[in-house]
Amino acid sequence: MASVDDRPIQEGRHAWRVVAGRELGDLWLGGRGLPLLLAYTLLLSVTSYLVATNQGLNFLEQREAVSLTLQVGVAVGALLVLLGAADSVSGERERGTLESLLLSPAPRRALLIGKAVAALSLWAAAWIVSVPYVWYLGRGVGVVGVAVASSLAVGSLLALFLVGYGLAISTIASSNRVSLSVSLFVLLALYAPTQMPTAMQYSWIGELLLRVDPFTAGLRYLGKLIINGHGPGQDAVWLVGPTVAVVVVTAAALILADRLNLHGGVQT
Amino acid sequence: MPEGLALQAKGLRKAYRGVGAVESLDLEVEAGTVLGFLGPNGAGKTTVIRMLSTILRPDAGWFTVAGIPHDQPIQIRRRVGVLPESAGYPPGQTGRDWLTFHAELFGRSRGDARATARRLLAEVGLAERGGSLISGYSRGMRQRLGIARALVNDPRVVFLDEPTFGLDPMGQLQVLELMGRVAREHGVTVVLSTHLLAEVEQACDRVLILHRGRIVAQGTVAEVARRAAAPRRGLVKIPPELRDRALEVLAASAVLAVAAHGDRRGQVVVSTPAGVAPERAASLALGSLLEAGVPVLGFAMEGGRLSDAFLAVTEDADGQRR
Repeated sequence: MASVDDRPIQEGRHAWRVVAGRELGDLWLGGRGLPLLLAYTLLLSVTSYLVATNQGLNFLEQREAVSLTLQVGVAVGALLVLLGAADSVSGERERGTLESLLLSPAPRRALLIGKAVAALSLWAAAWIVSVPYVWYLGRGVGVVGVAVASSLAVGSLLALFLVGYGLAISTIASSNRVSLSVSLFVLLALYAPTQMPTAMQYSWIGELLLRVDPFTAGLRYLGKLIINGHGPGQDAVWLVGPTVAVVVVTAAALILADRLNLHGGVQT
Repeated sequence: MPEGLALQAKGLRKAYRGVGAVESLDLEVEAGTVLGFLGPNGAGKTTVIRMLSTILRPDAGWFTVAGIPHDQPIQIRRRVGVLPESAGYPPGQTGRDWLTFHAELFGRSRGDARATARRLLAEVGLAERGGSLISGYSRGMRQRLGIARALVNDPRVVFLDEPTFGLDPMGQLQVLELMGRVAREHGVTVVLSTHLLAEVEQACDRVLILHRGRIVAQGTVAEVARRAAAPRRGLVKIPPELRDRALEVLAASAVLAVAAHGDRRGQVVVSTPAGVAPERAASLALGSLLEAGVPVLGFAMEGGRLSDAFLAVTEDADGQRR
């Protein structure tokens, strides 16, 4: 049999698919992904029930109900992605399985890309679960198509941002606890601008914060499309923040991937 | 690089936060060698293995593995197999799936990877348990699975870092037999890091003793045992009533320091003075006793085993540092 080292190097093209395959199997067949998705479904059911009830009492207009449900769906779906990404490398490090992975000739970036694909599958599953809820809440007001498409676009953008961010933290974190804590802390910080007093949200600094923060910007864009009925290009400026964030964290994750090491930290 | 060298290192150095783990290590290991890599805890063995397998980057120095220079880590990883110290295993996967995954990471197709996994599981005696979840494996089975993983790429050099750690005597025996078979049948160079000195004496061609990040002895097992643990003491058995006479004779020989051995009046312990070969010292001692008419009922030199060498060189190194 030919030795492996005599074969042409297939590099990352092959390796990322191998890693993604194993990670997807672990996630969805190994029992980690399904409980998370079940919890997500329950949350979405409760949210939908509450907004539908409010609709009945005329507290919420139907478009607002769809927007609110979608915002919850996108935010929590992205949170699932962050949990998956933040556990990906530091979890292997903690379980002692990282060394055998690093001993393979697969480029480090390929390892991380494979893990990113698995983490993003959580968002894909969450989005699919959200579709029937959107249909139920939005039927009759012509918002279902826009809501489904825009939630896919915005949610995917936020998921990409969080997967890059989670992987970057997980790559350098020395323990899984640190990785998950830091990731969740930053996610909470990203929600903070939504808690600003209304007056401050309309000040220039508030507006800037809302636009720069990828989370608030993405969710605002979603609201403008669904509630205000704006066209996709009309408020596209709100997507600049999330897009820049995706580019920055992806670049950071790829740079850190090249320095991925056994103990965490940044190896130069 | 000289031909036939599986490993070569020069001036390898690694420190963690300013504390030296490996200090200017020079190393040459010929292809096909089974090298026993010894040293007390914290000697730097794992750090050396991690550097040579490109998991850690050295702070200084260079090395080659199977002729590949250290600045080509991916090529080196294609040629080495490693059983890491305290390796982890995914409990939710079967042994077969886990091996298949790693074989695929080395560029094998899915079919080839599955065939490789089956072959290796049979080789390490896990053919019947390959389809079971790793969570149900004993520690010994996991170690054998780890050795199988180290072979998925048909490596030229295999590093086994404490493969018998935590195993019962039967498990240790199985792993060491497996290691010997791997070395013979695959024709690979094996670097075995272990604390089991007796097994190293039996299984290894050469031995290297590392202490505080420095090599304190290396060579064949016999060379190291002889050089580093040359017998320093001997026990002479004589008739108890002639003990005082024997002590006088030995003291007069000016070759050996003499000490009575506790309350055992029929025994005398002789020590080799510095600068005198142990064999010559023993001959002189025994000759002078016989010439003086003291019958020698028995004589044994202590030392000369690898375990003695290990203790001697590590204690010497500690003494020099003090």
